[in-house]
Amino acid sequence: MVMGMMPLDDVKVIDLTHYTAGPFATRILSDYGADVIKIERPETGDPARMTGPFYEDKPGLERSGLFLFLNTNKRSITIDLKTEQGRDLVLKLATTADILVENFSPGTMDALGLSFESLNKVNPKLVVTSLSNYGQDGPYRDYIGNELNLYGMGGSMIGAGNVDYEPVKTAGRMVNYHAGYVAAFASALGLFSVEENNEEGDHIDVSIFETATHSIDMRLNRLMGYQYSGKLAGRQSQASAVGSGVHPCADGYFLITGGARFIPNIIRMIGMEELLDQEEWSTPEGRAHPDRIDEFLPYLIPWTIARTKDEIRIEAEKHAVLGGPMNSIADLMENEQFVARGYFEEIDHPETGPIKYPGYHFKLHREEGEMPKRKRAPLLGEHTEEILSEIGISAEEISNLKSAGVL
Amino acid sequence: MVSKNSSKLPLEGLRILDLTVVWAGPYATQIFGDWGAEVIRVESIKHFPSTTRGMVMRPTKKMVSQIGSLSAYPDRDPGDRPWNRVASFNAHARNKKSMTVDMTNEEGQEIFDELLRISDIVIENNVPVSMDRINVNWERVSKVNPNIVMLRMPGFGLDGPYADYRTFGSHMAGVVGHYSVMGYKDESPDMTGNTLTADAAGGAGAALALAAGVRYRRKNGKGIFIEIATAENFASYLGDGILDYTMNGHQQEPLGNRHIVYAPQGVYKCKGEDRWISLSITSNEQWERLCVLMECEDLALDKRFDSELARQKEHDFIDELIEKWSLQKDAQIAMHELQDSGIAAGVVMNEADAFADPHLESRGFWEQLEGVDTGSNLYTSTLWTTEELERSHKWGPPRLGEDNEYVYKELLGFTDNKYKEFENKGHIGMDYDI
Repeated sequence: MVMGMMPLDDVKVIDLTHYTAGPFATRILSDYGADVIKIERPETGDPARMTGPFYEDKPGLERSGLFLFLNTNKRSITIDLKTEQGRDLVLKLATTADILVENFSPGTMDALGLSFESLNKVNPKLVVTSLSNYGQDGPYRDYIGNELNLYGMGGSMIGAGNVDYEPVKTAGRMVNYHAGYVAAFASALGLFSVEENNEEGDHIDVSIFETATHSIDMRLNRLMGYQYSGKLAGRQSQASAVGSGVHPCADGYFLITGGARFIPNIIRMIGMEELLDQEEWSTPEGRAHPDRIDEFLPYLIPWTIARTKDEIRIEAEKHAVLGGPMNSIADLMENEQFVARGYFEEIDHPETGPIKYPGYHFKLHREEGEMPKRKRAPLLGEHTEEILSEIGISAEEISNLKSAGVL
Repeated sequence: MVSKNSSKLPLEGLRILDLTVVWAGPYATQIFGDWGAEVIRVESIKHFPSTTRGMVMRPTKKMVSQIGSLSAYPDRDPGDRPWNRVASFNAHARNKKSMTVDMTNEEGQEIFDELLRISDIVIENNVPVSMDRINVNWERVSKVNPNIVMLRMPGFGLDGPYADYRTFGSHMAGVVGHYSVMGYKDESPDMTGNTLTADAAGGAGAALALAAGVRYRRKNGKGIFIEIATAENFASYLGDGILDYTMNGHQQEPLGNRHIVYAPQGVYKCKGEDRWISLSITSNEQWERLCVLMECEDLALDKRFDSELARQKEHDFIDELIEKWSLQKDAQIAMHELQDSGIAAGVVMNEADAFADPHLESRGFWEQLEGVDTGSNLYTSTLWTTEELERSHKWGPPRLGEDNEYVYKELLGFTDNKYKEFENKGHIGMDYDI
């Protein structure tokens, strides 16, 4: 049950996205209260439904963890976009909507008769967000993209990993998720122009290559730093300053980040403050000398391996040392901070039963109280009749459309 | 952005008080500034924000020469005002303004109240204890201006046992389990680098939260207080991995650059120093085309490689085969040849590649901006483009206190005498006085 007002609870989103990046965008909009109508292909639906991980490792349309995670709060309608009647239904839905988000390859919407111009004609206020690998124009427009090569081209992959090895991919689907997050914000700004500035709906073009170049990881800094210093950042070992690095400890590893200002804190944390009296350790310049890095390890490592990740974290907090435990997902689920704040949310589903999901990205401190509970991801076509009847399609028409294979 | 037809930018007319530090918060206000909001960085000449305007206030030339590119200075020279010259600040500060006020005393608090009264949004991403020291919290802010939207985004949230734990993106990544799924197969985690994606996620999330907050204000007739725990915000970027654990008890493991289903997939060495190409084969047809491209057609129909499962089994062998081919190739040429064969591939681009890339160039992704303390540099443009607006920045990163006159005199209406008095009292200045 939705309690009180949510920022986007009077916003309707037509969701023509599939797989990862697009559904992440509309998922976030729904978290802010938007009514997201997910249009899926009849019978097979969003291909993410058949992408793992699967509940109990058994594939099935309603068993994909990826799909269940990405599509909470949404309603599902099946429409065959390649039929004329199907296209007309989308145009009709578009007349009642505020935002349309799609992530087909560039040119597909035009081929389906759903170009920005035709959408704009039926609803001049509609914001249309197109999310694609390389954007709607430019020489790479029709190149294929995926998580790995987009991270490599746009992100910080050249700086990720060990200097003696090949560059290494970041975890999971981060490049796609991040592009989706940006697309959600872009859509909200499009709506802003319509509502606050009384503009017509604009066509927004989000390129994953660009969102990665612009923001994943430390890319922005590196791009500026390269211009200043002429140096390619490349892959650096963690141990770029005294105390920095991923250090073994009693129950795993602990990451410490140094940097000039924090080195004395690290030295104090391990009880070696007498070092600071020695000449080469007494000045920032002295401590920044590369030789200090290796000299310090014989003091540091015995200290870390005698302690657990939790114990080191508490010491780090006490001494204003920047660092963090290298947790597993299992550690995260039991992490005292995440548990104390009630981050994880349990969501029931007919196929999986109640499962814990990552919680909200944000917390609205509203007078109306707690954040609303999210609804589980929809079954394929679960809301087809409901959605069509809302736009005035009769039960008889619906059954005709069904037998014609449009739904 | 500029409008092609004199319409307003989406966020024109919104004023943001920006108390953000390091990267996640500044990234949010960067995006807001890019899209038309007036972003005023509220800084202090009595407090040097380490890692925001440089690691240390006045690094020596020698220190600067030892620093990596992340906090580089133009021409490796810290200059007279190093805090205006450091890459890690200038990378996110374009289109913003900077004013200074010492909020540790009563007078500074009153000046901040005046600013709150004329602003729409206030944002900060400090460890909560730092904000307590200068009395920045929702109770105070909303009392002064009930219509304001406030966003606080400390690393771990405002409550709980980690609330006052200082943290960077790389440590939040550690806490949420990022490094347990990133890295080389069968290698210990100390072989993996540092990752700060939590900050990027925080910036995008905070920007959206502010836009949602402003819409809520319009509907509800009063301001709202929004909290983002940057680590919580980022944990969702591992969403499907988390569900694999909560559904099935599986702890996903690092696969290096390989794919759990498709094969081959990897990053392969090309001709030259530190040059690499990534590629992924997701069907038998693509495999056959790769074999043709590598001039080993006989393998295309070889039973040992005729399915994903079969190719997974022979992945090491296939990797060697591909690298034999890629080592002879220029990375750029390899990318175009593979893409022309319908195979997902990309150069692992270093900084020089990005600046030289014809696709980014053709989409107007770079913009040249001048700065008094920085010289002329290329800046990334907006995060996306639109039909109606054209990519364009207003100005480069602001120098510390650069907009004091504008803020104190034009916005707050203080007289020249009062301005001088504030200068003498350590509120106003362009140099740190510590």
